[in-house]
Amino acid sequence: MMLRRWAWLALLVSAGLALWLLLAGPSRVLGFDPGKLGMFLLVATTWVSLYGVSQIPKGELEVMVSPGEWRAWVGSGFTLIAVVYFLSKISLFQHGPAWGNPEASAVARNLVMLLIAWTVLSSVVSARWKGVVQEDERDREIEKQASGWGRGALMVFIIGLAVMLGFSPAAKLEWASHFMIANLLVFALMWGWLCEYVATAVMYWRDRH
Amino acid sequence: MSGTPLANEIRRWRFERGEMTQEALAQACGVTRQTIIALEAGKYAPSLELAFRIARAFGVGIDEVFRWKTE
Repeated sequence: MMLRRWAWLALLVSAGLALWLLLAGPSRVLGFDPGKLGMFLLVATTWVSLYGVSQIPKGELEVMVSPGEWRAWVGSGFTLIAVVYFLSKISLFQHGPAWGNPEASAVARNLVMLLIAWTVLSSVVSARWKGVVQEDERDREIEKQASGWGRGALMVFIIGLAVMLGFSPAAKLEWASHFMIANLLVFALMWGWLCEYVATAVMYWRDRH
Repeated sequence: MSGTPLANEIRRWRFERGEMTQEALAQACGVTRQTIIALEAGKYAPSLELAFRIARAFGVGIDEVFRWKTE
């Protein structure tokens, strides 16, 4: 039990270090991008955590929390990391398109890695409920309501962006290159997903309390 | 999803059917155990189809399991 506690603590420290390297660390150390190391560390930590999660016996929390709610919390976590990472690196998208901008390409690569880690974690979490019903009419109703929140958040962001681009003086829009606007539109999608996942998780949580 | 005008006797019927577990009822109706928990807590109103499935799992009529709260 003591060993398990230390192992989880080590994983937490590793995840924290990975996020720091990814989000706030120096951009270059000895000519090497520490962001890559951060992403590698984050994926490795996720894999080890997966193994740990798969070994835990079914507890009371797992019995109380539905597969849909687990998926919603995992989705909220990963989209939150993706949104924060994207925002922390958004200044890199001012300098030209992806093929002439290796730093922006690295951000895109790291986001794809995050997506892969998320897919794997989701499938492992789902495997714990193998053989039982994973979704029913209540889950679909919650998803429907949450997608309304996601759509609303997306609309607010797009309208805000359109108003800002349409009404700001040109001198204040020097940062708004076509590549930056393209990336802001991608960010709008990520923002919509984040709001949808958080709304789903909160609705499940509210139902249990 | 919070609060519903429907009251139900799911818990009572489970005990009258040999202390049927929530998991067993969920499997019989094709829903998750958490949906049965939400139903028993009065936090979710089932579709007509699910209400019939639950009543059928107990072998009784739908009006013996569900009723309006004002009644």
